[in-house]
Amino acid sequence: MEKSEAQVADEIQWIKRAQQGEAEAFGPLVQKHQHRVFSLVYHLVRRRDEVEDLAQEIFIKAFRAIRSYNFQSSFATWLSRIATNHCYDYLRHERASRVSFYWQMGENSQQELETNAESQPEQGLDHEEQIVLKDLVSKLLDRAPEDDRKILALKELQDYSVEEIAEVLRLKPTTVKVRLHRARKRMLKDLRRWREENEGHAM
Amino acid sequence: MRCDDVRDQLDDLWEGEVPGAVRQHITQCAGCARYHRDLRLVRAGFRLWKYEEAPEPSLGFAERLVRQLSAMSKGPSVTDFFERVGRRFVYATLVLTFLALLALALPPTGPVRGLSAADIQISTQEASLAYSDLMGESNIQEFPEQAPGEAPAPTVPNEAK
Repeated sequence: MEKSEAQVADEIQWIKRAQQGEAEAFGPLVQKHQHRVFSLVYHLVRRRDEVEDLAQEIFIKAFRAIRSYNFQSSFATWLSRIATNHCYDYLRHERASRVSFYWQMGENSQQELETNAESQPEQGLDHEEQIVLKDLVSKLLDRAPEDDRKILALKELQDYSVEEIAEVLRLKPTTVKVRLHRARKRMLKDLRRWREENEGHAM
Repeated sequence: MRCDDVRDQLDDLWEGEVPGAVRQHITQCAGCARYHRDLRLVRAGFRLWKYEEAPEPSLGFAERLVRQLSAMSKGPSVTDFFERVGRRFVYATLVLTFLALLALALPPTGPVRGLSAADIQISTQEASLAYSDLMGESNIQEFPEQAPGEAPAPTVPNEAK
């Protein structure tokens, strides 16, 4: 949806006042972007109970750094960059779990899940299967290298375009495409390795 | 088709329709069939996450945040406090260092720190007097005690006696 000129002008005014240290002017910016930040944090961290605390820290960080915002990119992109970096600072201290509900399923249940996953998940998968599948992907993301995680989360979970990802991560769109391709490949390779490990333990 | 090429194509397509040649390879190759099933599994998991609603900000989230920011910007923060104290400490150290260097550079005697020449002369005279008293002889002429109004007795040179 195109933003009206008046909305853009208002946002510029709020930003300029916030740059002068006026906290009240930052309020409308929080109101306007909070849903985007909450969604981004949730998809990057995937822990519902952590979202609000992290979002609050991100907005505080943004207010402190707002003087460095130079209107080169959109405010939303600038804020997304801060949010992405903040979430990955947080995740860096978290250890990837070696356990997933998926590996605790029997072989038949795994096959059933795979068959159901071929259709659109909302129709084919029951609630329990959805939890298992989300947990598997979440753990795979946790295990992935940081650059892969960022790019996959922004593309696959947040549904950003290649150009938007390029702006947030300060990369060229062609680099984003190449990295995305490699990240998907690495994730599938890791899944295969993880499967082999678990099958080895099961024997 | 080689397995690597098939898997590359699958990664490229991701969400797209699998071409006939790739599909045919998959039906004949167990490894690539497994790869394709994993890809669909991961893709389905991503889709589930994508459509998952993020939690809503709690009521008054923005207002609370603005109040917090206002309080932070009004009162000096702990960091500011330490910065200010640190800066003063550095200035004080510089001043003290300058004074110490100045003290070392100045001569041990002088108008500020040492005795003046006149003071030295007076104290030398006093010392020599004290020495003479101790030794019982004096080079300074002493006048005999006399009554008020009486003329002083004339001094006779030793040779005349």
